[in-house]
Amino acid sequence: MPATISPTLQSISEVQAAIAAGERLFLAGSRSALSQLPRGNWVGGTISYFMTGEGGLHAEDRVFVTPVPDFAHEVLAEDYSAQELAQIYRDAPAHGFTFLVLPAGTQVHRLFAEQAPFFDGFLVRPVVGWVTGVPVDRIGLDAPAVFNGRTGAVMEDRGAALHVQLAPNKIADLDIVNIFESAGGEAIRFDETGFRVTQCRIGGKVVNLADYIAEHGISTEFPLVGDYNGSSINVSFQKVDPVARTVDLYAPVFPGVDYRFAKPVENYEDAFVRQTAGENFAPYFACNCILNYLYGRLEGKKTGCVTGPITFGEIAHQLLNQTMVRLYLRDIG
Amino acid sequence: MLPDPSHPVWEQIAIGKKPLESRKPTVNLLIHSNKMSYERDQSQANVRLLAEKTHHFFRQYEALFPAEIAQILQ
Repeated sequence: MPATISPTLQSISEVQAAIAAGERLFLAGSRSALSQLPRGNWVGGTISYFMTGEGGLHAEDRVFVTPVPDFAHEVLAEDYSAQELAQIYRDAPAHGFTFLVLPAGTQVHRLFAEQAPFFDGFLVRPVVGWVTGVPVDRIGLDAPAVFNGRTGAVMEDRGAALHVQLAPNKIADLDIVNIFESAGGEAIRFDETGFRVTQCRIGGKVVNLADYIAEHGISTEFPLVGDYNGSSINVSFQKVDPVARTVDLYAPVFPGVDYRFAKPVENYEDAFVRQTAGENFAPYFACNCILNYLYGRLEGKKTGCVTGPITFGEIAHQLLNQTMVRLYLRDIG
Repeated sequence: MLPDPSHPVWEQIAIGKKPLESRKPTVNLLIHSNKMSYERDQSQANVRLLAEKTHHFFRQYEALFPAEIAQILQ
C-alpha cells in the first residue's frame, strides 16, 4: 500500500483514516491519542513533545506520523522483552532498517543501552528510534509505553519494532547531529558499564564523580561527551546525589571510552540551525532529545527544517542522549 | 571494488593497525566497537571475526562511505 501522507503531525482522525487505508506507520503520541487508533500495521510510542514546522510543541491530541515509503517491500511489526532483544537483529531485514521504540526506565531500555553494541548484527542491521516518555509534569506518576498496532498490545515493559525491508536501490543512512563538543581537559574513564556512577578516573586518578562535579561547579545541563574514534557520543546527567555521592545518567557509560565534560552551549536553536544548515534533503525520519527541548527552551522554536518527536532518548544504532538523530533513505546504484 | 574478505587489510583495520579517519558516526562506531572487542579478546579467531564483520560493513555501505573506502584501497 503506498504512503499517501508525509512525515508530519496529524490529528487523531487523520491517523485513524490512514491506518484504515492500510498505511504502514511509525507513530509518536500521547497514550490517550495512540489508544484511540485501530489495529493495523503500525508501531508507536508515548510522547507528547514534537519538533514541527512551526517550532517545538507540546500536544496531547496529535500524533507524529512517519509513513513507511511506498518503495519499501516487506514491513513487520513485532515486540520484544528484554530477554528477546537480540532477536531484533535476527528479525531485521538484511537490506533495510528497523524502527524501535523502548519505554523509558525499563529493563528493556537498560538492556538495549548496555548490550546493543555487543549484539550480532549491530551496525550492519541499522536500528533507529527513540525512548518513550510522559509529559514532564507526570514523570514518576505515569508509565511510558509502546504500542504494537498489529496485535493491539500496549506495553510498559517491552520494545516495539517495525522492520522495514527496502528496495535494492535504496539504503538506510543514519546520522546524528550533536551540538555538544568536548570542553577539553583530562579524560574521564569508567571501569564498569552503568547508568549509575560513583568512582571514575580523571587523568588516571580515582575520584568520586559526584564530589568532582560539586567541587568544580560543573553544570549538569551539558552532557559528558564520549570520544568514539572522533565522533562525539553524549551521556546526559539525570541526577547528582551529594549525600549518596552517586551520579545517575540517562545512558550508560562504558569502559574504554574517553569522556569529557561538554563545552556549554548558549543558544540551542542557533546551534541546531548551524549544524543542519546546508542540507539538501529533509531526513525521512528524525527525533531530538527532551533535554534539548527543555534546557534549550525550544518550545515555539525551530531546529532547522527538521521535524519529528522529542524523546526521552534517541537511538541511532545505540542509545544516545541530547542528540538529534536523522534517518535518510538514499538512492544507490 | 572492495578487497576480498580474506585480504589482510580487513584485519589491519579491525585491530587498528590501519587507522581510518571518518566524520561519519556509523563508521566511527564500527572502529570503536572493533577496538573494544580486540582489547577484550586478541585471539586470532576474534581478529578474523572482526575482519569479516568489517568487510561485511563496508560491502553493505559501499555507496555511503566512498572517502573511507578510498582509504582502505590506498
